[in-house]
Amino acid sequence: MSTAVLALQHINKQFGHGHTAVTALNDANFEVNAGEFVAIIGPSGSGKSTFLTIAAGLQTPTSGQVLLNGQALTKQSEKERLAYRFNEIGFILQSSNLIPFLTVTEQFKLVDKMAHRPFQQSAALELLNELALSDVKNAYPNELSGGERQRVAIARALYNDPSVILADEPTASLDTPRSIDVVQRLAAEAHQHNKAIVMVTHDQRLISHCDVVYRIEDGNMTRDNTATAQ
Amino acid sequence: MYLGLKEMRHEKLRYSLLSGVLLLIALVVFMLAGLANGLSNGNRQAVDQWHATTVYLNKNANQTLSASQLTLADKKHLQGTKIAPLSNLSGTLRTSNNQLKTTASAFGTSRNSFLMPTVTSGHRINGKNQLLISAALKDQGYHLGQKVRIGTTKKTVKIVGTYAASTYSIAPTVYTDTATLNRLKGSPVTSGQQQPINAFVTKRSHFKTSKHGNLQRMSINTFIDNLPGYSAEQLTLNTMIYFLFVIALAVIGIFMFVLTLQKQALFGVLKVQGIGTSHIIAALLTQSIAMALIGIGLGLAITVGLAQIMPAGLPFVINWQAFGIYSLALLGAAVIGALLSWRTVAKIDPVVAIG
Repeated sequence: MSTAVLALQHINKQFGHGHTAVTALNDANFEVNAGEFVAIIGPSGSGKSTFLTIAAGLQTPTSGQVLLNGQALTKQSEKERLAYRFNEIGFILQSSNLIPFLTVTEQFKLVDKMAHRPFQQSAALELLNELALSDVKNAYPNELSGGERQRVAIARALYNDPSVILADEPTASLDTPRSIDVVQRLAAEAHQHNKAIVMVTHDQRLISHCDVVYRIEDGNMTRDNTATAQ
Repeated sequence: MYLGLKEMRHEKLRYSLLSGVLLLIALVVFMLAGLANGLSNGNRQAVDQWHATTVYLNKNANQTLSASQLTLADKKHLQGTKIAPLSNLSGTLRTSNNQLKTTASAFGTSRNSFLMPTVTSGHRINGKNQLLISAALKDQGYHLGQKVRIGTTKKTVKIVGTYAASTYSIAPTVYTDTATLNRLKGSPVTSGQQQPINAFVTKRSHFKTSKHGNLQRMSINTFIDNLPGYSAEQLTLNTMIYFLFVIALAVIGIFMFVLTLQKQALFGVLKVQGIGTSHIIAALLTQSIAMALIGIGLGLAITVGLAQIMPAGLPFVINWQAFGIYSLALLGAAVIGALLSWRTVAKIDPVVAIG
């Protein structure tokens, strides 16, 4: 039995049928443990996004299974999948997944409103402090820099205490120093909070900060044990 | 709730514009409703004050009071008490020196009939050639003891009493006895059972048949609907009001739909994060209900304010019951308008937010 927080086993994903069928993922195997910062690296069109949507429960695989804390996710209702994403997964999306009309603090409050619980002020302040965002806690997303926005997204993802954080090209809109900063912070959060963080990227420069690297090309996923320092 | 209200706070201009449009629609609805009610009142106030249930007209009168010719003797077709004869004369009320002239609706009935209004100053009719006038005429300068003429005859009657505001056919009413009204009409018969009258009015409704000799029975509501111009007037104004509900629905529906299209990417991101269609629809509903409440509230306030400064000649009467129903209808239009975007929201695929 695997102790992985999130595991994808023998995942196949095909789009279309017959001659026009396209294989997006071909027998992909993946796992991430608590406290691990994993990168999935590959060129565009390699199947990275498909992998992410299947891990997030947004799409069901053609075959294979997704295990979260050892439990299979297949054949869930739309409502259960929403609850799964809300409770178990934190997202950091390409540009920004922040709500434009909510201040930084209100982004956290929204999570609490949805979960029907009071605002966890101390937890929010602690996260903001940790990510050097204390000064902008009352700012709207459009008043923040790109780096600040992604840091807020990291804080927002951690705030709901999910099992896994999925980051989809979190550095796509950032310059190199800011990209490095965001990735270092992701690594730090994974280790500090004992969270499983999965980052999808095409940027080779970032992988030296990751604990584990998977490469994906034309739907084939391989674990690259040579890429990291470990 | 939270999402919807926070967005409104952040996008004040956008949402106040739609609140403003709803305010204008609500204002027109309330103004039309006030006018419809005022006109309705002007036509039927006297009839309502009778508290009667049934009217008998000549069956050939095509349900019109002025076209109905009966005599007092026709009462033999009806049984029971509380049956009052009614005669009507529309004419110009004027003082003998012609200083005051007013179009008025004159009613004649028996002196002790239940149709006679309750006198608030002066006394009841207790002799020939006496007249009671309604409050509006008193306000115009007619007073107790004054000799006045009605219509074209030279015969005069004396004002002996006044009563509450009362109108019929958009004209203030006066009451006298049957014989006096016949004299004013220039009728050849001004006494006895062969005197002409227009109708019998009763508080009873349980007569067995609808035909009583040459009489035709009609309910008081049918009688009101057949007042000259009444139905056409009410139908016109009410149709305008109903169209405004459709317009409100369309305005809200289109506005929310366009905003939904604009926010598809955001809604996709929300769905990725586990905030589903029902939460998004709840936010849209919150917004459209909030905008409708603001529009309706301000519309009501402005209507009440305008009613204070309207010229007295404008037949505008606030009817809170109608205003309440129309407010709910506008609110309903807002709810339905927001729900029109349901399908669009439900169809947004969160997958598009990734990659």
